[in-house]
Formats: sequence, C-alpha cells, structure tokens
Amino acid sequence: MTKVEDYNMPEELYYHQEHMWAKVEGDKVKVGLSDFSQKLAGEISYIEMPEEGVQVNQDKVVGSYETGKWLGKIYAPVSGEVISINEDAEDDPTLINKDPYGAGWIFEMKMSDSAELTNLMKGEKAVEWLKGEITKHERGKNK
Amino acid sequence: MYLFNLDKLPGQQSMLFFHLLARMGIEALVLVSPKIPLASIGYFQNAEEEADLQFCKKANIPVMRREVGGGSTYLDENQIFHQVIIRRDHPLFSRKISENYERFSLPVIETYREFGIETSFRPVNDILTKEGKKITGEGSGDIGDCFVWVGGILLDFDYQVMSRVLKVPEEKFRDKIYKSMQDNLTTMKKELGEIPSREEIKSVLIEKFEKLFGKLEPANLTLPMIKEMEKLEKEFTSPAFLFKKTQRIPKGVKIREGVEIIYGIHKAKGGLIRAIQEVKKERIKEISLSGDFTLYPKDCLEELEGKLKGEIRKKKWLNSKIDEFYDKEKVQSPGVNSEDFLKAMKVEE
Repeated sequence: MTKVEDYNMPEELYYHQEHMWAKVEGDKVKVGLSDFSQKLAGEISYIEMPEEGVQVNQDKVVGSYETGKWLGKIYAPVSGEVISINEDAEDDPTLINKDPYGAGWIFEMKMSDSAELTNLMKGEKAVEWLKGEITKHERGKNK
Repeated sequence: MYLFNLDKLPGQQSMLFFHLLARMGIEALVLVSPKIPLASIGYFQNAEEEADLQFCKKANIPVMRREVGGGSTYLDENQIFHQVIIRRDHPLFSRKISENYERFSLPVIETYREFGIETSFRPVNDILTKEGKKITGEGSGDIGDCFVWVGGILLDFDYQVMSRVLKVPEEKFRDKIYKSMQDNLTTMKKELGEIPSREEIKSVLIEKFEKLFGKLEPANLTLPMIKEMEKLEKEFTSPAFLFKKTQRIPKGVKIREGVEIIYGIHKAKGGLIRAIQEVKKERIKEISLSGDFTLYPKDCLEELEGKLKGEIRKKKWLNSKIDEFYDKEKVQSPGVNSEDFLKAMKVEE
C-alpha cells in the first residue's frame, strides 16, 4: 500500500480525477471513493447508489452522497453496465469512511471499452497527481 | 466572477438560479430573496415524508427539493440568500468541505458585525450569535463542475409557518418545534429591534465577499436564463424528483447545531410508545412519553420522564436509568421493557 502523506493509495488501482478508484479484473471494475476524498469530505450520512443494470458513461455522475450538509457526487471511472452495488455500504455509508478500498466499495461494473483506462491514472502518475491535489488543498487552506 | 444582485424572484427562481449557474459553469455570488414563501427539502429527503403537503397546498407554499444537503427549511422574503457558485478548480475551493463552510461564512459574519450583531461560525454549518442562537444556516453541494455554498441572512422569521410546514407525527410535536425554534433561532429583527434596509445589508455583503473573491462583475438575469429556469422548475417539481424514495428516515428536526427535536413511535408487545425529546448537546433537555401501554403504578410515567431529563443519550446509561426507575417504583409494564423505551427514543448506541 502506497501512502502519500496521510492518505492511503493502493498502487494496483486506477484513479479518476474526481477521486474515484477503480479495481480492474478482466472486464469487471470495482469502484469506490479514494481515501483522500472520504477523509476530506467527512463522515458520509447517506448515499444514493447507481441502479443495477444501467449503462453509464465515463466521467458522468452516477450517484450522490451527503456529508455534513454537502452533497457530493459519484462518478463512473469508465463506461459500461453497473452489475452490482454494495448494499452493506448503502445501509451503512460510514463503511466508506472506515474501509474505502475494502468493505466500503460502492459499485461494480462491466467495462465496455478498456481503452478508456488510459484516461485514468495509476502508479507513479497517480501518486504525483495526488501530491498535486494535496498541495492544492493546502493552498486553499492557507488563503 | 459575476455578481447577481437580484431583488425578489418569483416562484422557485430564487433557489433554481444557483442550480442553473452551476450547471452552466458560471462562477458568481448571487444575492436574492424569494417573492413568495417556499418550503425547501434536502436532496436526501422525500417531500411526502418531510412536509405537510396538505398545509403547503392550502397556504400556496410550493415545496421543492434542492441539489444540496441538509433538512427542511422555510424560505420567504424576510431572508436574503447568499449563494456562492465557484468551479471546483477555483483556488478558494477546498475538497476539505468543512473549510469551505468556514471560509465562506466569514463575509456573512463580518456583515452581521457591521450591523452590531456579534456572531461566529459553528461547525458544521451554522452561524450563531454570542448567546448561541442560530442566525444563519448553510448548505453546499457539487453541481456540474461547480461547488455551491448557500445560506441566508435572517431579517425576520415566521416560526409559526415553519412549524406548520413540517410533517409531524402529532400536533404536540409541532409545539415543541415552535418553542425550540423560538429559543434557539434568532433574526436581525430580534437582535436589533428593527430590520436594517435590505439594500444596505446587500451592499455590506458585497463589500465583504469582494474582500474574499476580489472585484465582482455585476451581471443581470437574462431572458434565456429565465427560460432555462422554467425548464429546471419542471424537473425539480416533477413527482419523480420530489417524491423520490431516499434512505433518510425522518426522526426529527434539527433546530441548530447541537439542538434537535427527536420523535419516535415504537410498537412494543404491550402497546405503542411515543417519545418526543428536545436534545441539547446530546443530553435530553425535555422528554414527553405517551402511548397506550399499561404501567403500574399508574401515573408514574412523569417520574420516568423526570429521571431521563438531563441525561446523556447513551444506550447503556439510559438503560441503567430506566432499570433504576423500575426497581425504585416497583414498576410493572406487561409487554414493555427498557429496550422498548429506548427504541421509541431512537437511542441507538
């Protein structure tokens, strides 16, 4: 597990610019919120999952969640069909805070075009990007 | 960044406008009031569960669900909404959401100060007076590529109508909400004895927000924007959107950060138990228990209420208090035990 400052970032995952992670196994992709995103957003009170069976497009909003009166959005990291959702996290969204890369996964999809993975970040590129995001966040904090 | 210094807008436009700007990716500060009263519910609320729709219809109060978190609110012309719409790549946006609240509250706090009201930010999303009364509530959300942060200066407030707009399990509960709001929610009128001029308040707000964002470029509502809002209104008031089932189960009303009215009904084997509580900083300030269960000796329910008053809402602790009451008063309640009371009181941990 790579750690960038205070944030966990498993190296085998792909990352979307809206701080979603994607675990690719063949054409199946498991999706969740990154540790950075969940930590900064705070405790999740409610979540609206995408519906199973729907076709979703890369970068599009597929669901929402609420933390401390903020309504955040869930994005599809790639295009494809939503094949399952994590009902445990739907019942207890704090699972996403407690274990964002494990029990707190959000949904699983069947990817329709693996070429879209090139639009995501992985490994060193993802680490550099997260460092930039942390700096941006610090910059915001100091304003 | 634009400044839309608007007057009172008809229908639901005072709320729809920030949704529209965010979807269009237009950064702005909007100052606006509604021309007619509105009831607004949070994204994770269902209008049927949260609002007294019959009353709202009779009183001509439209109900709208917003793309922002939080609970039910009553909005009218005695509030000046301040709505900030910035793109999520704006240097003042932080993914640490709590920081956005604190940062964007500052111009509002400074505005109140200019009019002689000392206030401070209270996490998560309230601005409170020195006496701890809420004078502004806030909400936020990501819409399109933007982050929106919204709140309102309370010039005056109709406590009576607010308590009528909410759907409640029984009238007694409405009185509790009304009283708690009177105690915990204040307005410029209450604080100053009069309402300063609307234009003066808005001009101070603009000056304070410009300290944060730099010079804002005045802009006006255009006809195409009004047409787009009409389309949005259809979407936001459609039954599919308004009555969408959500996970949030109504369990009460948050009056301000740290003060809640919680209600619950639990069907125990021995009958129905109703509980209404005013909770302050996680302690039971007031509690009223009722129902159709049997309790011996009769009339000892008040003693149980007294025993629970002032206690912290922790399951183990309250359980011990209820057990003490049972032992001391030699209470019998067939088909009802301490666990049932705790369920009615919505004490989970």
